[in-house]
Amino acid sequence: MNNLNWYFPKTIKEATDLITKEKVLFHAGGTALLPRNLDKINGFINLSDLPLHYFKKENDTVEFGSMNTYANIVSKIYEIDSENILLKSLQTSADTPLRNRITIGGSIAFAPPWSDIIGALIVLDAKILLSGENNGDFPIEKFLQNPKLKQNSLVTGIKFNLSNWKSFSYRNIRTKKDMPAFHIVAMLKIENEIIQDSKIIITGTVNRFDKIIEVENYLKNRKIDDIEFSQIEKLVDVKFTGKRFSDPEYSQKLVGIELGRGIKKLVRNL
Amino acid sequence: MKGTFIINGQSKTMDFNSDERLVISLRNNGYTEVKNGCLEGECGACMILLDDMPVHSCQIFTASVQNKNITTIKGIGDLHLPHIIQESFVEAGAVQCGFCSPGFIIATYALLKKNPNPTENEIKQAIDGNLCRCTGYVKIIDAIKNASKLIQKERVHS
Ligand SMILES: Cc1cc2nc3c(=O)[nH]c(=O)nc-3n(C[C@H](O)[C@H](O)[C@H](O)COP(=O)(O)OP(=O)(O)OC[C@H]3O[C@@H](n4cnc5c(N)ncnc54)[C@H](O)[C@@H]3O)c2cc1C
Repeated sequence: MNNLNWYFPKTIKEATDLITKEKVLFHAGGTALLPRNLDKINGFINLSDLPLHYFKKENDTVEFGSMNTYANIVSKIYEIDSENILLKSLQTSADTPLRNRITIGGSIAFAPPWSDIIGALIVLDAKILLSGENNGDFPIEKFLQNPKLKQNSLVTGIKFNLSNWKSFSYRNIRTKKDMPAFHIVAMLKIENEIIQDSKIIITGTVNRFDKIIEVENYLKNRKIDDIEFSQIEKLVDVKFTGKRFSDPEYSQKLVGIELGRGIKKLVRNL
Repeated sequence: MKGTFIINGQSKTMDFNSDERLVISLRNNGYTEVKNGCLEGECGACMILLDDMPVHSCQIFTASVQNKNITTIKGIGDLHLPHIIQESFVEAGAVQCGFCSPGFIIATYALLKKNPNPTENEIKQAIDGNLCRCTGYVKIIDAIKNASKLIQKERVHS
């Protein structure tokens, strides 16, 4: 048994003051905290009473408070943009009861290799809203690459623009219960049967996430009818480690095939 | 620690350790209808409703949900006054060893409350957090479809 202190702040200021105490952690959904070695910490700052369950839409800009769960995001985005990549990425993530607990803030701060939210937020160019030692809006990539931004800071929300680009999401799982070995997200801007632009991210790789720039370049200004899907497969060069969810070599082979398949389905409206 | 919870509509004070999981606290306080399965958020045997949402109670620190509404399967119906869903599970033979049944019934209750006429795919998605290792899922899905019909019929009559 560990003796943990529980704090229940009512304001963001209270929460960010508390995080400067020694060895305390924010508690959002708690799904990543339960298996932790709790004897190394003194307590939790429970975020559930903070005003971070909000959702705002102004013109094409959408903002979610960080205490929204995966289930909240899915139901709210479904109402405004049923083709949104975030919706596609999260609607079958984990399982129904877990989607009712896993929050945006905890998932961005923890950002595990199996995360289903990170890829979608990167292709959407999402901004992470922070309070505390670091204050302001930060591009998600910058946030993920700079661990100092997390220090004594609370993720209060995310912000992104809705987009009319076509998109697909592919989670590589063996059984429905698995966490994904990798997750591919892609957004394509198609006009007059030509790919004007694209954004492709694979998460779960050695680098946590990789931009597939070779494929983006290959697709740029290419007519749909001129795309060689077998070529896409050859252009994907990402590495995987651990064998927890899949064999790394197998994933490496499969990821290109699945990206090719996904793009084919997307451009042919299958 | 001591904390108050609303369990099956009644205020209840429980003693618990500061790092205790909700499934353990509930069982220690007599709510043994909440089954302790995998403790990893995989099997769904410990499922409860937390403010009307199905969740795995093994994935929740008890301290974090003080003053919240918790519903166990006994809050839905019991031997003396079973809920239509519980009757449908018995009727369809969707129960074998019974260990997973409370979780499945909780998941079904949450689904039918939101969507009384679900498609088969919606049913499958709603029970994606529950595992059954005896019957397989065919009879469980039959039971849910039947419960959905009965609930709709009841609505028409009332
Ligand atoms: C069985 C299981 C299967 C899962 N499968 C998947 C899956 O397939 N796909 C997927 O995407 N996820 C999955 N998850 C969820 C994922 O592994 C993490 O547990 C989850 O993203 C953490 O979110 P949380 O809200 O529970 O955060 P918490 O567990 O509360 O916190 C996680 C970390 O973030 C910090 N933190 C929390 N909130 C904030 C904040 N607002 N600001 C700053 N720091 C904060 C905490 O201090 C902690 O260090 C699964 C989890 C489980 C248990």
